[in-house]
Amino acid sequence: MTSNVAILDVSNIKYTSPGREAVRRLFHHRSAILGMIILGFLLILAIFAKQIAPYDPIQLLRDVDRREPPCIHLLGCAADQPQHLFGIDGNSRDLLSRVIYGSRLSLQVGLSTVSFAILIGGVIGAIAGFVGGWLDDLLMRIMDVLMAFPSLLLAIAIVSFLGTGLINALLAIGIVSIPRFARLVRSTVISVKELEYVVAARSIGANQGRILFGHIIPNSLTPLIVQATLGIATAILDAAALSFLGLGAEPPRPEWGLMLGEERNSIFNAPHLVFFPGVAIMLTVLGFNLLGDGLRDALDPRLRGTAAG
Amino acid sequence: MKYRWVYALLALFVVASMVIAGCQPAPEATEAPAAQPTAEVVVPPAEPTAVPVVETPAGRNNYVEMKVESPDCEYGGEFKSIETVDEFTVKFTLCYPDADFPSKVAFSVFSIADKEYLDANTGDSVKMSEAPNGTGPYMLKEWVRGDRVIYEANPNYWGTAAAIPNLVFRWSEQSAQRLLELQSGQVDGIDNPAPEDFAAIEGDANLALYPRPALNIFYIGFNHNVAPFDDVKVRQAIAYAIDRQRIVDQYYPEGSQVAKVFVPPALKPGYSDAVDWYPYDPEMAKTLLAEAGQENLEITLSLRNVVRGYLPTPDKVAQEIQAQLAEVGITVNINVMESTAFIDATAAGTEGFYLLGWGADYPGATNFYDYHFAADTNLQFGDLYPDLVEEIRAAGKISDPAARQVHYDKVNQLLKDDVVMIPVAHGASATAFKASIGGAHASPLGNEVMGVLTSDSDQFVWMQSGEPATLWCIDETDGETLRACEQIFEALLSFKVGSTEVEPGLAESYVANDDATEWTFTLRQGVQFHDGALLDASDVVASYAAVWDAASPNHVGRTGNFEYFTAFFNKFLNATE
Repeated sequence: MTSNVAILDVSNIKYTSPGREAVRRLFHHRSAILGMIILGFLLILAIFAKQIAPYDPIQLLRDVDRREPPCIHLLGCAADQPQHLFGIDGNSRDLLSRVIYGSRLSLQVGLSTVSFAILIGGVIGAIAGFVGGWLDDLLMRIMDVLMAFPSLLLAIAIVSFLGTGLINALLAIGIVSIPRFARLVRSTVISVKELEYVVAARSIGANQGRILFGHIIPNSLTPLIVQATLGIATAILDAAALSFLGLGAEPPRPEWGLMLGEERNSIFNAPHLVFFPGVAIMLTVLGFNLLGDGLRDALDPRLRGTAAG
Repeated sequence: MKYRWVYALLALFVVASMVIAGCQPAPEATEAPAAQPTAEVVVPPAEPTAVPVVETPAGRNNYVEMKVESPDCEYGGEFKSIETVDEFTVKFTLCYPDADFPSKVAFSVFSIADKEYLDANTGDSVKMSEAPNGTGPYMLKEWVRGDRVIYEANPNYWGTAAAIPNLVFRWSEQSAQRLLELQSGQVDGIDNPAPEDFAAIEGDANLALYPRPALNIFYIGFNHNVAPFDDVKVRQAIAYAIDRQRIVDQYYPEGSQVAKVFVPPALKPGYSDAVDWYPYDPEMAKTLLAEAGQENLEITLSLRNVVRGYLPTPDKVAQEIQAQLAEVGITVNINVMESTAFIDATAAGTEGFYLLGWGADYPGATNFYDYHFAADTNLQFGDLYPDLVEEIRAAGKISDPAARQVHYDKVNQLLKDDVVMIPVAHGASATAFKASIGGAHASPLGNEVMGVLTSDSDQFVWMQSGEPATLWCIDETDGETLRACEQIFEALLSFKVGSTEVEPGLAESYVANDDATEWTFTLRQGVQFHDGALLDASDVVASYAAVWDAASPNHVGRTGNFEYFTAFFNKFLNATE
């Protein structure tokens, strides 16, 4: 029995894959755990919004006054009043339901824009880094031009050009995030393409496509994952900002930024209307940032071999 | 580098051309549009300076005899002639009786400007805004575009001079910002605080709230030239689907009323007790939509997100309407537009379904009906409804109240039958001032007079919802703009401060003949314009002629539409169409 355990230990140390090691690190990273808890909670809210939310988010309630503060039975709200944990919004809709449904939209926004940006940016970066030469110069100068604009300003310009609406806002945010991923992928591709296994693949006659997609890209994913997680946070913030300015989601869609923007005049006379959507945005962005930091610490090669922190 | 000199020359050429381009005068953005009927006759002065040169000392007299006359009344307008009788007497001869005439000439759009000054600027509102030359208690000091308008008191004012030497107009769309600036003491008075803040203002010992009576209408407009609103069944269905009571209960402050007809109940003749609007009945709406074959209707609702007395929360009410219409199966897309663009688009007839309202300029039914349903320059409801125009015109031409009411009852019935628009609410609103400000008030007509205020400080800062478009209001309709003009310019008559009662203005007195077709005004003597010219009868004739006579070189304005003139007095003289 004893020897058995000893053997297992040995094999454990010998054959731990880098991936499993990273996951172990991640689960020992305190802020990453907090981030994952927040995001897990959000994910559950988003998936089961229909079951969790007490009301339809765009249905006008007939039995209440608009802008009523939260009514919580546990905290002394009269029992004959209908319970509204977050209160009633400016159009007599249940604010809690709107915030819950908003999580759906925010996660969709974050994931879709970042996927779009990674797909386009990744391909551009990989080609630029792998092919090099004048193509590299051309693509990267285009990316530099895109990077030169403040991202939100460029997004506003794109939305003004395409017309307002959630889809156009997503497209705009996706476009402004492209250069970040393109540059990242390019730099990792350049550092990976001279490594021995790539040279080995080349020497046995593998074609260019196979080398790029089979060997180089899979091995340059690590920083991309970190950047993507942080990118989601930025995308959600940008989308909220666009909606706040009236350029993104259109009423009556329960989008957090839009909810904030619509009620910015109420900050003094009905603070709950801006407090809850604001907190929701803050928590979501915080969740992605914490997870992103944790991922970076877990995946960063410089930290490999040192104690997980 | 053997081509060095070529490159040097090239660079020099580029720089030189940029310098030349930079020094070129900018294209005159304020030039009258090409469609202007008088474009051919306008002869711009050799030196189109914005500011007329003052040559003679203050108190200079520039009276000339003037008469503008129409050969007959066939052209369709109200004026037959306007003439100077002597230096201080003006006579208006009308083609038909007009009982509301004193109210109309008291309205600030028809303010009086100096004749020389009008001629020097060819009546161009934008040029005249550079150095507006009026008779009012305040003079323009500076207009910092996009930020503030600064006035100073007129030392030569004919009446009681303004007690506060400096007046500043500022603006913010955000009601929260207006209130915050008032609370923090940055501004001394604000227009239209949000209804939700009324209680807070009343509870604050440093502030005072002045309720403004609901002399206005908020309506949902249809343009029957735009599909699907060309189908009266669709318009009726929407009328049945809108719960107006709920909108007023939820979004309007106390003192507001659900509108039954287009004018508020205070306006009699005009208001019809007998006409009841369509009740809230979503089932009926669905039936009508099914009959019209429009079960899955998708429409666009346009609005401007500017708080006015008739509509305190435009974006919220739009969403309420969106949700109410969703219940009968109509999908509504909300289209928020920039304020001036929205007003121009509705007037041009390009918006099919929109939220708009109207605040009274003078307490007469003609002010509501004529402008909206009988002025050919206003296409907001599509082509005019001929039977409606006929009744409105007929009512405006007689002075017996009971006889007018008969016509107005028909008008209101027609408005209901054709569902030209949906009257929603008469909205109460308010102004708020620091409690230390004396003479503070809210005018039912929206023309607060800053000249009567008193304060411990030598400056009064007013914050309203929007920036004025110009400071010469002959071609303006926006209340925010009118208020800014009213501090500088004055009309023949005026409205008592905070009331709708007509009192003498630049004219001391007036008399009408028996059938109300001849009106003679006696001007006040010794009234000086800000540049020192004396007011005389020719200034009055010139001011009216500039807008009435389409062939006049001064018939320029800002857009050249002069909606108010055609609404009040019908057709232009010498109109090309």
